[in-house]
Amino acid sequence: MSTTALILLIFFGLVAIWFGWRVFMTSSMVRSALSLLASMAAIGAMFLAMEAEFLGILQIMMMATEMSIMAIFMTMFMMDPGGMGGMDMSHQKIPSIGGGMIVGALVVCIAAFTAWGNMALEVPLPDKQNYDLGMELMKRSMMIFESAGTTILVAMIAAVSTALPYKSDIDGN
Amino acid sequence: MELTIVLTIAAILFGIGIYGVLGQTNLVMIMMGVELMLGAAMLNLVAFWRFMHPQTFSLQMFVLVIMTVMALEAAVGFGIATQRFRSKGSVESEEASDLKG
Repeated sequence: MSTTALILLIFFGLVAIWFGWRVFMTSSMVRSALSLLASMAAIGAMFLAMEAEFLGILQIMMMATEMSIMAIFMTMFMMDPGGMGGMDMSHQKIPSIGGGMIVGALVVCIAAFTAWGNMALEVPLPDKQNYDLGMELMKRSMMIFESAGTTILVAMIAAVSTALPYKSDIDGN
Repeated sequence: MELTIVLTIAAILFGIGIYGVLGQTNLVMIMMGVELMLGAAMLNLVAFWRFMHPQTFSLQMFVLVIMTVMALEAAVGFGIATQRFRSKGSVESEEASDLKG
């Protein structure tokens, strides 16, 4: 891995962490959603720095749309969407901070103290990667990919049918 | 070295996600925490692909499956939020104690 790629990787990693932290530290909901978008885009940029071009672009495009939709829903559902009321939207602070830190530290320890062996130096070129990923999807992992498609269909039906009003709500009873 | 750096970044993101899931009261904010945790999982997979098995494309396929899970989680979560908001007027987890024993 070249030095430039490594610097970019660390830079975008820090950006992802910073904006991930800002998501829960701001009281404005639009800022919160846009921070999550920035964090996810930084993860996409890290994919690009790790030479997974297809996944990086896919991540940035998908998250841009998903988080924009999320911003609309957040302003719809929050009691204090602009954050001007100064409401505290958190509970059980100490257990949750403790839980997050303990799990994070545990995973960092696993990452740091495991002997990962030799690192791969070269990756296939982007066109070869796309070809191989397509072959993987259409050959060995086809069943899994098809199941993912079916799951999307099931989730679409489930989401719409969950969100529909009950009959009694329409009648006003 | 590079693998450890990426795994560390992913671990910190996962920790922030856990804080969000446990510490936030609003359903949409809890979902944001879950999204961060799934993002960290994707980061791990891409790092393992890049630094350990660049010829194995099942790892990239698995990233696609996780992206699907993220989209589904958002869709079903917002479906539940819409229904909850319609029937109770709020999506606060503090007020969702209907099934409490």
